[in-house]
Amino acid sequence: MVTSNVKKVKPKPFLFPHLCKACGRCIDACPKHCIVFGTEIDPATGFTPVTVDLEVCNGCGLCITACPEPHGLLATPPELEGTDMVVSDPFTYFGERAQTRPAPAAIPDQLVPLPALQPMVVKGNHAAAIGALLAGCRHFFGYPITPSTEGAELMARLLPKLDGVFVQAVSETATVNMMYGCSGAGLRCMTFTSSPGFSLMLEGISYMVGSHIPGVFVNVMRGGPGLGNIAPEQSDIKLVCRGLGHGNTHAIVLAPSTPQEMLDLSMTAFDLAFRYRNPVIIVGDGYLGQMTGRVTLPDHLVRPGLPDWAVYGDADHRGNVITSIDLNEPDLEERNERLNAKYDRMTQHEQRADPFHCDDAEWIIVACNTPARMAKGAVRALRERGVKAGLFRPVTLWPFPIDALTPIMARAKGTVVVEAGPGQLEDELRLALSHAGLVPRGPLAHVRRLGGILPSLQHIVDTVHALAEAHHE
Amino acid sequence: MSSVFYQKFERHAHGEGLKGLSTHYCPGCGHGLVHKFLAEAIDELGVQDRTVAISPVGCAVFMYYYLDVGNSQAAHGRAPAVALGHKVANPRSIVISYQGDGDLAAIGLAEIIQAAQMGLPMTFVFINNAIYGMTGGQMAPTTLMGQRTTTTPDGRGRLMGQPLRMAETIGQMDGPMYVERVALFDNKQRTRAKKAILKALRLQVENRGLGFVEVLAECPTHLHMTPLETEEWVRDEMVPMFPLGVKKDLDIEPWFDLGTPSFEPDRVSSVIGGGTEAPERFGTRFPTHIHLEDVAIKFAGAGGDGAQTIALLTTRTAINEGYDSTYIPSYGPESRGGTSYADVHIAAGDVLSPACPEPHILVAFNAPSIDKFGPTVQPGGAVLYDSTVISTPPSLDPSIRVYGVPFTQIATDLGKRMVKNVVALGALRAASDLFPRESFLGAMRETLQKDCAMLELNEEAFTWGERSLGEMTSPASG
Repeated sequence: MVTSNVKKVKPKPFLFPHLCKACGRCIDACPKHCIVFGTEIDPATGFTPVTVDLEVCNGCGLCITACPEPHGLLATPPELEGTDMVVSDPFTYFGERAQTRPAPAAIPDQLVPLPALQPMVVKGNHAAAIGALLAGCRHFFGYPITPSTEGAELMARLLPKLDGVFVQAVSETATVNMMYGCSGAGLRCMTFTSSPGFSLMLEGISYMVGSHIPGVFVNVMRGGPGLGNIAPEQSDIKLVCRGLGHGNTHAIVLAPSTPQEMLDLSMTAFDLAFRYRNPVIIVGDGYLGQMTGRVTLPDHLVRPGLPDWAVYGDADHRGNVITSIDLNEPDLEERNERLNAKYDRMTQHEQRADPFHCDDAEWIIVACNTPARMAKGAVRALRERGVKAGLFRPVTLWPFPIDALTPIMARAKGTVVVEAGPGQLEDELRLALSHAGLVPRGPLAHVRRLGGILPSLQHIVDTVHALAEAHHE
Repeated sequence: MSSVFYQKFERHAHGEGLKGLSTHYCPGCGHGLVHKFLAEAIDELGVQDRTVAISPVGCAVFMYYYLDVGNSQAAHGRAPAVALGHKVANPRSIVISYQGDGDLAAIGLAEIIQAAQMGLPMTFVFINNAIYGMTGGQMAPTTLMGQRTTTTPDGRGRLMGQPLRMAETIGQMDGPMYVERVALFDNKQRTRAKKAILKALRLQVENRGLGFVEVLAECPTHLHMTPLETEEWVRDEMVPMFPLGVKKDLDIEPWFDLGTPSFEPDRVSSVIGGGTEAPERFGTRFPTHIHLEDVAIKFAGAGGDGAQTIALLTTRTAINEGYDSTYIPSYGPESRGGTSYADVHIAAGDVLSPACPEPHILVAFNAPSIDKFGPTVQPGGAVLYDSTVISTPPSLDPSIRVYGVPFTQIATDLGKRMVKNVVALGALRAASDLFPRESFLGAMRETLQKDCAMLELNEEAFTWGERSLGEMTSPASG
């Protein structure tokens, strides 16, 4: 700690006129009236700097305290006492002390073996929370909302036992910004929410994307728009794939369809979030969040390290800054180019899909989340009836796994998109096809239910069957 | 100059020219002074390496150009939330949340109130200049009555509400430890402001509590006055509305101590409830007498009947027996009272749809449930109902076996009405021969392992449920 006996020295002030904005606070502050407004405009700044006459100055320092500029009125260093500081060149004086500090080495994550554990019987929301804990998440921020709340509740119960932190925020808006802070410090944190709450987080997600900040969001989608209901819908696909707040934003979107995948993809999500320094969104549906099933645990957990870019609050990371503002247009364009390059890498490396009986399929059903379970049943039922159906289940909704789908669709006679929503999954499919320059073969039909009703197995079977029949005729 | 300022402001216009050495603030702006007092306080307390400063939205958005500390720039109004995230991430960090009046007292009210009431040792600096600076002179929540701004061209009137006194608001809360309002308009005020900022920071460094300093600051540009006139305006016009001084000052001991998160594998396994012992299996076959590969069971009653618990027990039993099984409740407002339904699937392969629109077996606890779901039971299926509650079951497809069992009466006789669901589970086992008795009891033991007394009672209830079915079987429709 610095103890200031410096005060007793009473140094007199000096000023680089270039750095004076002529506010005059020092004039008012000086009891000896040593400082007056100047008369000559400084051509470098357009200001008229004050002039300092040190004849009667007693070194009280009040003018220095009154000057709002860091490099404004300063105490004359003892070694320079008596020199004519007023005419010196500030660039020479302040030297080249660099602000940029050497970036610290990133502390890598460690995989720690777990004892062999028996499968658990847990609900989807709990499975995702357990996955997060195993992925090294020890900080949770959230606001309760059905049908996602059990995830938050489990975190509230378990995190204190691991000396982690659970904060119930005042809103979803506060939640995402707490995550911004915690992730900004380089730590793994997450939230559980559901559609209306997710809407409120979008602004913050845009900031996280813009600032290259990771973070894991579990959105257990419910019926909308507005307050809608708490039954399962898939109507946030548009938001998570195309509408993550303002600006040029994207995030990897994972769509589990079983409690097991809620756990597995929750672990994957943290890995991807930190690998790309970007938020990752897990979209479930109300059914998946509430459904209890068998969950097998991994053989390891993650002990997270600390990334080099973190603003952790220690000496190593002091040089870091987290921000998304670039007033200078070329700077902002560069930031966006960097984001685009990242989105390209994600699109290239992170497409994930789970095809079921697609190898010889003539009729492709595309479905994700819980509707994919009905679709799987429909594939079996259709095959029993002699219709060669297959299920293509995108596990990443963004990037859409078009690379895996392309050869499958090339063999198909038609495609049916099954969703508990107004066609947002189909829109993603159509966009992906369009970007890939592909035209689907045969009809592109759909089975859709709204309001929280899931498409039934029979509905899917009937639709595909009718298409197949029509094709034969 | 404090070494907490960068020597050269490389982030300000890439550090080029004079911008690399001066701030972006207008002449006479209060921000520069407060930055300086902050830098000096950080210096004096020796916490430069540990400091994380949160830049707000507003004119101070670029505070990170100047302070040589860890920097994080927040969305409008959210600096306290961002600060909180940083503080809990690293409790040793010294977190300064810096906001203007629009940021803190308008869009970010909820965040500052939550953070203040939480009271974690953090330092909040609030710049009140009665106007929006960055957006160009609009009304702030602290704009004075009658004050002209670009959005109150005729002066702030009643429809614009009255100025918010934040120091008083924060000062009356339980969370903060120290709250003071200071100003910058003369030497005395500047000295007080410096001291207040130092104190608010020291409280955090000593881990004692939350400090909040409101600074009445000058914005000559948007008040259309000279810097010196603005100082007078703050003194003469603002101070009467925003009285200076200490609003709260407690003396409390350090309290803030968050542990270091654990990643110790045994501890984590135990916390998540992962068991290492395999459950015993008793069944020898899938209950193909009900369905070849996918058995669907619906449990329906009122909230509190315990339908959810036995649905979960059934799923756990099936999974212990090595099958895939799912349980899904109807949830939400309904589960907080009113109706309570649960769907269970048990599959030889994968469970497909987890819902049971057409169950093989229905367990009903009240009349509305049997009326609603009875007709959906598949031909050849079974219905069990609480005959204590349901006097006249609906007539169903003759192929459906219907069992009336007095779940409630049996449970009441056992001395605990709440175990009627376990009576029902026993009856379900006896009626369906889903899995052996031992595997249900095993799942129950797993669930209730910490409560031996409850286990004994539940086993008894289960047994009575099984037996009573044998004694009282009465297919209602012959």
